[in-house]
Amino acid sequence: MISLLRNQRVRNTLLQVLYVGSLSGLVLACVMIARRNLAEQGITSGFDFLFKSTGWDVNFSLLPATANDPYWWYFLIGIVNTLFLGTVGLMLATIVGTIVGLARTSSNELARLLGRTYVDIFRNIPLILQVFFWYAVITHLPTPRAAHEAFGMLLTSRGLYLPIPNVGRAALVAAVVAIIAAVALPAWLGRTSRLSQPIGERLGIQLTAAATALATAAVILAFGRLPDLPLLDFPALQGLNLKGGLRIPPEFSALAIAIAIYGGSYIAEIVRGGFKAVGKGQMEAALSLGLSPWRVFTLVRLPLALRAMLPILANQYVWLMKATTMGIAVGFTDFFMIVALTINHSGQTLEAIGILMTGFLGINLSLAAVFNRVNKAIALKGNQLRG
Amino acid sequence: MNSTQSPGAAVHIEDLDKYYGSFHALRKINLCVQRGEKVVVCGPSGSGKSTMIRCINRLEQHDGGRITVLGTELNDDVGNIDGIRREVGMVFQHFNLFPHMSVLENCMIAPMMVRKRPRAEAEATARGYLEKVRIPEQAMKFPGQLSGGQQQRVAIARALCMQPQLMLFDEPTSALDPEMIAEVLDVMVTLASEGMTMICVTHEMGFARRVADRVVFMDGGEIVEEAPPAEFFTSCRSERTRQFLSQVLGH
Ligand SMILES: Nc1ncnc2c1ncn2[C@@H]1O[C@H](COP(=O)(O)OP(=O)(O)O)[C@@H](O)[C@H]1O
Ligand SMILES: [Mg+2]
Repeated sequence: MISLLRNQRVRNTLLQVLYVGSLSGLVLACVMIARRNLAEQGITSGFDFLFKSTGWDVNFSLLPATANDPYWWYFLIGIVNTLFLGTVGLMLATIVGTIVGLARTSSNELARLLGRTYVDIFRNIPLILQVFFWYAVITHLPTPRAAHEAFGMLLTSRGLYLPIPNVGRAALVAAVVAIIAAVALPAWLGRTSRLSQPIGERLGIQLTAAATALATAAVILAFGRLPDLPLLDFPALQGLNLKGGLRIPPEFSALAIAIAIYGGSYIAEIVRGGFKAVGKGQMEAALSLGLSPWRVFTLVRLPLALRAMLPILANQYVWLMKATTMGIAVGFTDFFMIVALTINHSGQTLEAIGILMTGFLGINLSLAAVFNRVNKAIALKGNQLRG
Repeated sequence: MNSTQSPGAAVHIEDLDKYYGSFHALRKINLCVQRGEKVVVCGPSGSGKSTMIRCINRLEQHDGGRITVLGTELNDDVGNIDGIRREVGMVFQHFNLFPHMSVLENCMIAPMMVRKRPRAEAEATARGYLEKVRIPEQAMKFPGQLSGGQQQRVAIARALCMQPQLMLFDEPTSALDPEMIAEVLDVMVTLASEGMTMICVTHEMGFARRVADRVVFMDGGEIVEEAPPAEFFTSCRSERTRQFLSQVLGH
């Protein structure tokens, strides 16, 4: 018995069991106490409310929404809105961050100065102020009658109006999947079998894959097209208001811009750090082989910099994803705001907060898991590197 | 530039000056290396050996004098620089392999990208040179999975895959554990015996004795002395050289 306790494996397992056991016990105790207190106040706990209709409206939803819809559908709307805002915000922030970060590592002094100024300014203004600022700017844009117009898009104080295809919902979803495949497929093909084709031919295969996916998207759109309507539904003025197209509300735009600019300033620093971490030696070796500066960048500097950036970038993304909860400050119906409204209307505080936490945990853990996989897949192999 | 038979020296350096800011790193260097010649450069740390050898393929830009490599003058002309880098291989103290590529990819990338060789040909060449540096079985591994000596041999193979006319070595064995030095030097001796033009910065005096046609001694950014090894090791003229030799040979 004593000798069993000396065994390292047994000891570790025992500690795990103790740890998990006491943690579950604690959680269970909390839940029981909370239930009793709530019951005393006459509030029924449980998740039955999920199936009742909400009775209130949301101001923006990618999914169809009416006040008759049940709570669980509203939570889904909130999660989709959060993911939409997060995706747009993170993509824009990455673009901004890459440009500013590259400017900061450039050999041009003016570019470096501009990059530095950008980072210093936008990293030091709290995100919520930036959200309010952009919200104020956007809501002071011209009225629908005097809208700014470009490429069929209308920019007004009521939001950004985009033309959308007059296509059935299912076809639209399928087309989006095909377009995502057009981007993902070439990337995936590039990763597998790096040596089985010459680089020139590999590019050919990648382009073919992308073209096929895009063609599929076009075919789906053509067939899913609603009858007797033009392919694109352009927003247009009717009376005092704009009809048609997709309205991106000012709340969404303000949040997306603020996250792009604020997040971009952090990502710029990560990008800069990544490029600085690449050894000069590798680049000199590449140059000494006669590779052109562009090839040195794409084949050596960028791939190595990306590997240095990725772990920190993943943290930043998770962090920015959580920052989408700023939506409540300007009234964008993201997941957090839906939960807040639910608490107001249904009184199911604990359950709603539990759902909120589980939802965000799910989103962020998946994000982290994806990055971990990518990280592992591209990690430098071996432990004998120096210099 | 492109013909192997073109007459004249492989490297011709005249009155080379190099400054780092206000620091005068190379002072009026003159050096001529014939095709097929093997030159060993030695000298105390900080004497400018690396700087000089790196000027030959424009990893450093010189500030005065003329450098002519394989008949092409090294100046701001990008075409000249590219042409010279294609024909001049370099091996570094810290190997500088591309850690995200397999050994084979390390060796194939430049022939495919720069010389536009088809993949099959580039792979055959790469495998040939990996055989030559005695690590054909490591082709699919990554640099980080190899010992220092193996990594340096890959670096030599990578440079050779471009089929250069001149090889530069900057202290190729200085970062290696003693038991790995021999395996790298063996490869270099073989390369020398096949007639490769070589300029080696090294403190391996045994190697210098065996393969060098000439030993060049540098100190304080100047070439102090140059002589065939037999003469260099027995009857050097300058006090600085004698002192340096007693340090590297002394133990
Ligand atoms: N990039 C640089 N900037 C400033 N000084 C340098 C740089 N590279 C080398 N030096 C200086 O030039 C001198 C010669 O350096 P180097 O050629 O590396 O010497 P060696 O290879 O003989 O040890 C040294 O004093 C070194 O400090
Ligand atoms: Mg040196």
